[in-house]
Amino acid sequence: MRRLKDLGTRPAPNSIRELISRAVRGHAPTTFVPRRLLAYWQEHGWTHSGNRYTGSYHTPYGAFQGWIEEQRSGHAEFFLYNPSNEIRSHSHWTCFQHRGSDWYLVHMAKQPKDVSSGIMTIERLIKEAYEI
Amino acid sequence: MKKLSVVVAGTGQIRDVEIQSGTTAGDILHQLNLSDYLLSKGPNEPFFASAESVYDKVNDGEKVFASTKAEVGITVCAA
Repeated sequence: MRRLKDLGTRPAPNSIRELISRAVRGHAPTTFVPRRLLAYWQEHGWTHSGNRYTGSYHTPYGAFQGWIEEQRSGHAEFFLYNPSNEIRSHSHWTCFQHRGSDWYLVHMAKQPKDVSSGIMTIERLIKEAYEI
Repeated sequence: MKKLSVVVAGTGQIRDVEIQSGTTAGDILHQLNLSDYLLSKGPNEPFFASAESVYDKVNDGEKVFASTKAEVGITVCAA
């Protein structure tokens, strides 16, 4: 007695055919995508010319125009243009010194060691101002 | 185990680490010799406390930032 009954042939499902097809033609070589090694200020669109950085502090509440002046000593001064009412209402508003034409110097009690860390600090402060 | 890419904010240098459950932010910074830095998921996220376990708060392969400590303020201004 036959234990096996031949039911004929039928096309394999597409997924199986694609798998076999790939195995036959081989994988395309893997493309290695290098990571960009950018400082935070670069990654966030700031530009650097001489001792000055120009760009915006980015927060979920908007981008706030700023510039940074880096002195030879490494000390950096951070400026913010036309701070919003939310920022003016923040407890740290006394740390903003008006320098004319709606530009304000943001005074740092503890200086960041690099420009990127300073930008992140101000972005945190702005975000906090909007969330209080 | 989870893989993390720690971006050193000032340089853009990326340090890849692998962490186990219970690894703290302090452990990572110490291992990377970034003792004067703070770890965060970005400027819109709070800093991890040094003793805080990072493992449960990050996804495998996630990018986190190490930035130096800074505070806005003047001597009469609260930190």
